[in-house]
Amino acid sequence: MLAIILILFSGIFFTGIISRTKSISSGRKGPGIMQPVKDVIRLFKKGSVYSGTTSIIFRIAPPIYFSSVLMACLVIPFSSYKGIVSFDGDFIFFAYILALGKFFNIISAMDTGSSFEGMGASREALFSLFAEPAFFILIGSFALLTGNTSFFDIFSTLHLGSSITYTLGGLAACVLVLIAMIENSRMPVDDPKTHLELTMIHEVMVLDNSGFDLGLILSAGYLKFAMYGAIIADFFIGSLSLIWALPLFLLIQALFAVTVGLIESFMARFRMNHNPQFILALSSVSFLIFLGVLLVLEKFV
Amino acid sequence: MTNVLLIIFIISLLYVSIANRIITYVRVLALQGFILFGVTFLQLKDIQTWNLVLILLETIVFRAVAVPMFLAYLISRNKITRETEPYLPHFISLIIITMIVVITVLLANSIQDTHLDKIFFIVSLSTLFTGLYFIASRKKIITHVMGYLMIENGVFILSLAVGNEMPNLVNLGIMLDVFASVLILGIFLNKLGDVFKAVDVDQLSNLKDY
Repeated sequence: MLAIILILFSGIFFTGIISRTKSISSGRKGPGIMQPVKDVIRLFKKGSVYSGTTSIIFRIAPPIYFSSVLMACLVIPFSSYKGIVSFDGDFIFFAYILALGKFFNIISAMDTGSSFEGMGASREALFSLFAEPAFFILIGSFALLTGNTSFFDIFSTLHLGSSITYTLGGLAACVLVLIAMIENSRMPVDDPKTHLELTMIHEVMVLDNSGFDLGLILSAGYLKFAMYGAIIADFFIGSLSLIWALPLFLLIQALFAVTVGLIESFMARFRMNHNPQFILALSSVSFLIFLGVLLVLEKFV
Repeated sequence: MTNVLLIIFIISLLYVSIANRIITYVRVLALQGFILFGVTFLQLKDIQTWNLVLILLETIVFRAVAVPMFLAYLISRNKITRETEPYLPHFISLIIITMIVVITVLLANSIQDTHLDKIFFIVSLSTLFTGLYFIASRKKIITHVMGYLMIENGVFILSLAVGNEMPNLVNLGIMLDVFASVLILGIFLNKLGDVFKAVDVDQLSNLKDY
């Protein structure tokens, strides 16, 4: 229960911190931290406009997308508190409920009949397809390391071993930061500030959504960031007591947001044909984590 | 800690496989020099001055500073273009290098030897094969030299894998090898760059026997 409250709380500030970091590092005055939330509230007050060519799918996709992200947040634990939903193998549930939301987003983009949106949808599908093995190998190797298959058990038993688990945790955090950037379509892969439809990925998919629907999609994006931040924080918190875990959680979330902001201000977007190899490199790194786990367990074949 | 350094070493190999520019290769070689110093320093049982100076000379001074600086000088002097120009796309390079690592792990598993430190063996062997792959898959002569240096790094780690203390003579031999190769190829490249403007192995295939 505590986890979902914390994720919602940090989701409010997350994107604001990112844009604040970006504006400070580029020497602009920039919008305030609460600006993204204000944007969403403004959008929630509006009605939506639907094109005559779209069907029911276009209308139900944004709520499904938002609720899938919310469902995924429910399985994430926090220190010694389980997530609201917690069962064996819930990391598979986590990945596929996100995939379901993404699927509906993609078919709603196809539904509009716009050529740009179809192109963006195909790119988004391709990149999440490449990011998925990285996530599964990563969490799977930690499941192997701890002998448990639910998020709560994995994280609560992770740091009882030697110092090498902290190393693997650090490496996993790096991979997860990059996966979060890919899943949220942020800078090295996609530029959220771009104004050319041909180079967009995520933004081009939601061109036709307006008002309330756009607000749902934007707030799902904020939640997604906070969700990945919570997973990264869980790698380091383990089962600390609440007095330490709470500040550490907020610190890691803030650090994650600042990192994303810094990456976005100092890196250019990759060329579109360089993206697959970058994302596959993540899979290779998580494969190394898997080999490291095998080494720790002395389980070599 | 040693394991961490060796994992970073393998990640540097993956990074090289998708790197676009030649200067990245030079930087990664310098980084590998520092990593090698860290690994050897942690492996030392007792610190003797003479031994430490030799290791410092071999890793930091030589592999991490002198050779990369010389390579950077060569690149700028001969006006070698920035692109690495591989025969295969980077994507396939990445898959091949991942496969190399996996196969080496499987290979190292099948060896039953108590004297062999497995993680060292895996890292050294995969570095060796990666270096070979770089030589085979890149067009420029300068990248061939870099692949060769990577092989030497692999051999250096292999010398750590088999013996619990480093035989100095072996290391001196490796150092001489690196020195000779870089110097000879450097001078060769300089002279070649003076006469011909382009240094591309692909052009050798234009040579014909009439």
